[in-house]
Amino acid sequence: MKKNIFISLSVLLAAITWISCKKDRPVDEDGLLITTRRECYVSNFELLGTDYVTVRVGSAVIDTTAQTVKVTVAFGTDLKNVYPQFTLAQDCKLNPKITGRTDMSDLANPRKWTVISGNRQIQKEYTVQVTVQPR
Amino acid sequence: MQFSAKYNHPLFLLAMSLLLLASCKNKEYALPTAPDNLQNDAIKRTLGPNIVGQTIEFAYAMAIKPSKGKLATCDAEASIAGAAGTFMDNKSYFTKSNGADSGVVVATPSVNSGNKTSITYNKDTSAATLRYYYVIPEAARGQSVSFTFTATSSNGEKISMKMGPYTISKMDMVRNLAVSNNNMAYISIADTAVYNAANAAANAAKIDLVYLYRNLTTSTFGHALVSPAADTSYLPGITLPTGVNRSTKTQKVFNMQDYNLARLQYGGIFVDDIDFQKIDLSNQPNYAINLKAEAGVWVETADKKYRAYIYINSVNANGSAVISMKRYAL
Repeated sequence: MKKNIFISLSVLLAAITWISCKKDRPVDEDGLLITTRRECYVSNFELLGTDYVTVRVGSAVIDTTAQTVKVTVAFGTDLKNVYPQFTLAQDCKLNPKITGRTDMSDLANPRKWTVISGNRQIQKEYTVQVTVQPR
Repeated sequence: MQFSAKYNHPLFLLAMSLLLLASCKNKEYALPTAPDNLQNDAIKRTLGPNIVGQTIEFAYAMAIKPSKGKLATCDAEASIAGAAGTFMDNKSYFTKSNGADSGVVVATPSVNSGNKTSITYNKDTSAATLRYYYVIPEAARGQSVSFTFTATSSNGEKISMKMGPYTISKMDMVRNLAVSNNNMAYISIADTAVYNAANAAANAAKIDLVYLYRNLTTSTFGHALVSPAADTSYLPGITLPTGVNRSTKTQKVFNMQDYNLARLQYGGIFVDDIDFQKIDLSNQPNYAINLKAEAGVWVETADKKYRAYIYINSVNANGSAVISMKRYAL
């Protein structure tokens, strides 16, 4: 009798372990959950200076059709050392990642970032066009 | 004797209950007994970096049972002699009901002799806390300083306590420099001073920044610290004195109200030597415009001899400001 109980418990334990280890929620190479969401856009954009204070003059204009972000910055902004911040649609991610200060001083060649949807199937490249306020 | 298995469980519970009961018993409070010999203790009252010219304050407490004797002398010995102004307060302080410190004179004024500051009690005193103010001398810059506090009592006992070592910062500090538009506008990091145009011309090789204020309608220029060598668009209407042409790296900072410089009620941020050693300003611009009160600017001089942190204490819309600075020689 005891032997039967022991065997049953062992089988149950093995089954639970197997179920708990099953990979039914896929994650991408960054360890982020891959979902079913297809939304892929930038919803907000911020640009901070080295003092972590915004350098924007007015709101950034985001065109999700043209895939552009147009932002005007204050006169005297050090565009070699700014922190861009994107707000994306749910579950999206950005490529390349922003890991610190970013050089956006080459106004003739605006920086580009790609937004990748939650299901990782859709990619949209956004161009960030910076204009410096005149003195 | 052997208990059968069915009695084991209740017996175990009973034993645990007894153990819990015993462990919850309150101990009777007893007044602590004072040790018979002379006692002492000390704390360092000042926080933050130890800067040359500033004070390190200690509170040194000593006590002996009245039945054993009275306090006789007290001295503090520093490993490097303190600068002028070093003293030990001859008052013992207690806190009044309103929270204010109240001092009672218990000794003769302190006497400095070499590295030692001494007082002699002239009141019958069994317990006292004396404050020792050590003014950091130039000789201690970049070095470590230790302190030995010693008390003696009338029955011949002697007790000592060592404090430290404390590292003395290499940096300098200068506070409350008034700058104004088109007048006292030329800042020298090397001299930690502000000059007008005439004096700036005489010290041209040492002028690192120009203070200016512009109230423009098209942009938020405001208060600015700009290198003489910066683009002229950042120096509108400025004619630089002859020879003033250095390019100084700057980096704007906000929300870093250094406690030594700002002396505001909130604090806890101290810029110290290590901050100057670690900051990388190589990729920074040579101007900082639109500066607000309580903002700051990291600075590195063109010859890379100095790094500094300039704090804006206050600004005035008439085109003036009060700045303070910590400066580190590289």
